[in-house]
Amino acid sequence: MLEVRNLQVSYGAIDAVRGVSLTARPDGITALIGANGAGKSSLMRAISGVTPAKAGQILLDGEDITRLPPHERARRGLAHALEGRRIFHQHTVEENLVTAWHFRKPRGKFQAALDSVYGNFPILAQRRAAKAGTLSGGQQQMLILSMATLHQPRCVLLDEPSLGLAPIVVAQIFDFIKQYCAQGGRVVLLSEQMASLALRVADFGYVLKHGQAVFEGSREVLTRGAGAELSSVYLGAGKPRSSGLPR
Amino acid sequence: MDFLIQMLVSGLSVGAVYALVGLGLNLTFWTTRVLNFGQGSVLMAGAMLTAVMVGTGVNVFLAVGTSLAFTAFILWVVEWGGVRPLRRFSGSMGWVVSTLGIGILLQGVASWLFGTQAVAFPDVLFSSADTVEFMGAYISLQYIAVFVISVLIVGLMELFLRRSIWGYGVRAVAHDRDLAALMGIPVSRVVVLSFLASGVLAGIAGILVSQVSGTVDPNFGLHLLILAFVAAVVGGMGSAAGSLVGGLALGVMEKLVGGYISPAAAEVVAFVLLIGVLTIRPQGLFGKRETVKV
Amino acid sequence: MRQLGQLLTNSWTLGALALALALGAGHADTGTVQMWSFVVINILLAQGINLLTGISGQISLGHAGFFAIGAYSSAIALKSWGVPFPLAIVMATLAGSAVGYLLAGPAGRVREFYLAMMSLGFGLIVYELARELRGVTGGVMGMRGIPSSQIGTLQVFGWHIDTVAYFRILLAMLLGVMLLLRNFVKSHYGRALYAVHVSEVAAGSLGISQAAAKRTAYAVSAGLAGLAGACYAHMIGYLTPESFGLMRSIEILVMSIVGGLGSLAGQVYGAVLFTYLPQKLQAFNDYQYIVYGLILVFIFTLLPKGLAGLLRTQTRYSKLDQLRPDPGEPPVAPLSVRPPAAADGPLIRVEQVVMEFAGLRALAGVSLDLRAGSITALVGPNGSGKSTLVNVISGIYTPTAGRILYKGRDIAGWPSYKVARAGITRTFQDPRNVPSFTVRENILMGAHRRYRHGALAAAFNTPVARREEGGFLRQVDALMQAAGLAEYADALMGQLPYGIQRLAEVARALASDADLLLLDEPAAGLSEPESERLIELVRLARDHGMAVMIIDHHMDFLAELAEQVIVFEAGDEIYRGDMDGMRTDPAVIQAYLGAEEPAHA
Repeated sequence: MLEVRNLQVSYGAIDAVRGVSLTARPDGITALIGANGAGKSSLMRAISGVTPAKAGQILLDGEDITRLPPHERARRGLAHALEGRRIFHQHTVEENLVTAWHFRKPRGKFQAALDSVYGNFPILAQRRAAKAGTLSGGQQQMLILSMATLHQPRCVLLDEPSLGLAPIVVAQIFDFIKQYCAQGGRVVLLSEQMASLALRVADFGYVLKHGQAVFEGSREVLTRGAGAELSSVYLGAGKPRSSGLPR
Repeated sequence: MDFLIQMLVSGLSVGAVYALVGLGLNLTFWTTRVLNFGQGSVLMAGAMLTAVMVGTGVNVFLAVGTSLAFTAFILWVVEWGGVRPLRRFSGSMGWVVSTLGIGILLQGVASWLFGTQAVAFPDVLFSSADTVEFMGAYISLQYIAVFVISVLIVGLMELFLRRSIWGYGVRAVAHDRDLAALMGIPVSRVVVLSFLASGVLAGIAGILVSQVSGTVDPNFGLHLLILAFVAAVVGGMGSAAGSLVGGLALGVMEKLVGGYISPAAAEVVAFVLLIGVLTIRPQGLFGKRETVKV
Repeated sequence: MRQLGQLLTNSWTLGALALALALGAGHADTGTVQMWSFVVINILLAQGINLLTGISGQISLGHAGFFAIGAYSSAIALKSWGVPFPLAIVMATLAGSAVGYLLAGPAGRVREFYLAMMSLGFGLIVYELARELRGVTGGVMGMRGIPSSQIGTLQVFGWHIDTVAYFRILLAMLLGVMLLLRNFVKSHYGRALYAVHVSEVAAGSLGISQAAAKRTAYAVSAGLAGLAGACYAHMIGYLTPESFGLMRSIEILVMSIVGGLGSLAGQVYGAVLFTYLPQKLQAFNDYQYIVYGLILVFIFTLLPKGLAGLLRTQTRYSKLDQLRPDPGEPPVAPLSVRPPAAADGPLIRVEQVVMEFAGLRALAGVSLDLRAGSITALVGPNGSGKSTLVNVISGIYTPTAGRILYKGRDIAGWPSYKVARAGITRTFQDPRNVPSFTVRENILMGAHRRYRHGALAAAFNTPVARREEGGFLRQVDALMQAAGLAEYADALMGQLPYGIQRLAEVARALASDADLLLLDEPAAGLSEPESERLIELVRLARDHGMAVMIIDHHMDFLAELAEQVIVFEAGDEIYRGDMDGMRTDPAVIQAYLGAEEPAHA
């Protein structure tokens, strides 16, 4: 279980995350929804340690990891697929997977893990010697997911994995995520701008706006509100504001 | 013909050393985007230490080993005191000045301890008299040994970077620090290791270059820094193979110009080459163009 | 401390001090006067480094090279060619300047440390050449017989110049140079150099070419060193290459850094300190390398602003304190009124612009028109290409295909400073201000592209220059009023909260009096009252005939302003029309929220 308590993240003068608390339980996908700039990525970066949190606590299965450097959190089974499809572009597919494997104190054999990856995504097997930068968007996302889950980490953070991908690829990716979560004991936190996408697979969700969690609920609760409520969160209320500013 | 061969051999030999120093510069550049302006002086300090120790009767292997440990230590200090605290400030001014400061400091200490005149460097590899005949010319074995050792080390390093786990770590950190950390790579440890390795390379290069020139001059550090930098730039900042090509090209050109035109002209060669590359193809032969992110 | 600093840098104090020294020289012994002359020469050198490194952010590790060029060229001119002394000095300055300009050729295309390395090499080469070219410089043995004040052989048009007279000449020259420098730094040139140092990208968006700025800084800095070299040659009468080695370059650097980078007065302190220390402390001389090395290693961590920082002196970057604003003058309008927009023809036409990055298609053939005096909103989910379009128009990216027609010309692929100069100003997702400038100075920077007076006019503070700067300063005042920032006018930008910084950045964009304004997510992170202010500013721009395009996610904010909204998705336009229509358009809802799933039971 992943618990975040009153987390604050700032970049210089900008407060990206202003006191967010959430709980992501295992055996179900938790969604983070919100418009661009709502703070989803900053929140995830603070959870994985890439960006230090200004205040607040992060607990992984009860263990306080707030003060740990990111590589230590990774070794404790916390994986984060950054937004923007970040991979080692100059390395081959297989080299990327090697890098993902060796530094997290792996248990078991690399070959077995590799076979499993190629089983899930045969296209990666075909392009195993190609530089990762030459892969298509979807293939890169498959690689990223494989790298994140290579160790069977107990908590996975996915930042907008569907960004810029064709629906058929998105379906493939989401199937993989669902499968991963279904294997038991796994926490998955999935952030998406496209709310209905996340709600298709998530059981519970949080809506972020301007760095705060403004809404939370189960899939049913959120989906019922998807028409009017979420719409207003993204597209505005539609009523002209009174500009009563004195001249 | 004899003269030409001598020039070529010595050019390849010093060129290989330039490449070795360039590799040391590249290592720290990869992991921190910082260029150690004191690298040349570290080289000189290591060579000085070896010369003095061997001169006072210390066993050669012990002397070499101690100097390498010393040069590695200095690079550790550079990272800890000159690079890490100053990377916070954007722009290069801070670390250029502080790494240069360490270089100047080393030069000052060396002059203070050992005087400002060049110190003779003992024969660590073979003897300066050992030669081998090739096409009518007598080529010093030392030149050949230095060439072979340098190329070997560059090759080994390249191999190490491509195959070993630590190599994967360095390349990952060089590529994307955040992503590397998320892969479980202890980024700061990798950075420190890269600096230590750079120090060892500097130490070896110092010994090799002093061997072929026969002396250690407290002032040659900065000179070598510039030559190694040109080698790295010509080959492309960030490419080990590139610095080898750049170094060899530079070394040969330098010796040929120095031999056939004048020693003063040889000084200018490196500079002209640098300006030429920066104007025509700033990313060097094997480097990549850097793009601006908004 | 601050008062002491203010006192020590007050022009009157310095003027009085200079006068005292000039008079006192007649009564002091020759050795002392010589020392004072050395100090003057060192101040000149330090000022050069200050301009190059402190203000412009470039590093020169071989400045002694320019010093040498100035010294030898003046010596040769006077001794071998009989050129009169004043002309020789000018030649030396120009020689240094020319070489400095050439050396900075790659500036702007490579990172700073490349130039630093080149300057190191340059210094070493000049030293080597001075040693080798015996015919020209006298080689290692040195050049003798240079007309000099010390030996009494220096004369100008029959008048012999002795040590005291020479010092007075140097002092007068130094005062003149420092005055010119101060005016230059406080002008839009100085602001441009500093802006390029702090944020190249922002400087580009204001019409400042960073390559030109760096080359200018190198040229002026090298010229100052050349001038110092000539002064040195004719004081000593004898030159050897040893005076121009690496140690000299390091000394100059240390003087300037310890004195205080960015402070004109600090250079004086640094020069005085490091001219006297080696003379007074023999130990200093023996361990020079070690001392300088230690200083360089620790100075930026211990005392980043040098001695000037201790005394809290700070050169301000506008001529506000020089120009006394006339209270009787009527207030000016914040923006100039432009002729009513031509009824026909859009201001800018984007034609089928495609932008591809290594296989990723960020813009898939976008076309749009913007008319003067209009406000258009550009929205869309993350990754839809909005910022990319703004980056393409403003010159940060060159489009893969397509044209951008602005005022009859295709500006696609133009560098950003050229686009800005043509009349297109943009703001950034992060407000890119200069933290150590005041709010007023930051907004004044926006007017950079409108300045007409040149560097010499700026340095001499000609009436034309004063009128221009004064006019723009008043306009900045009006803009600050309009933006509600008047109370922050003289506060340092870096210490102000985000909302104020954002408003200032937009006000700066308005100060450029552009024809097209591109605002990238200006409303992010603003409070309600700040948002209101921003709305006012945008309306002000529109009312004055500017075309405005705003990227943002705050739909309520945009609803107040936008006449037209364009929605992007995956590099393509999916809706164009008004805000109300957008809210109910199915394609837009789909883009943001995804397809609706058939409801489960």
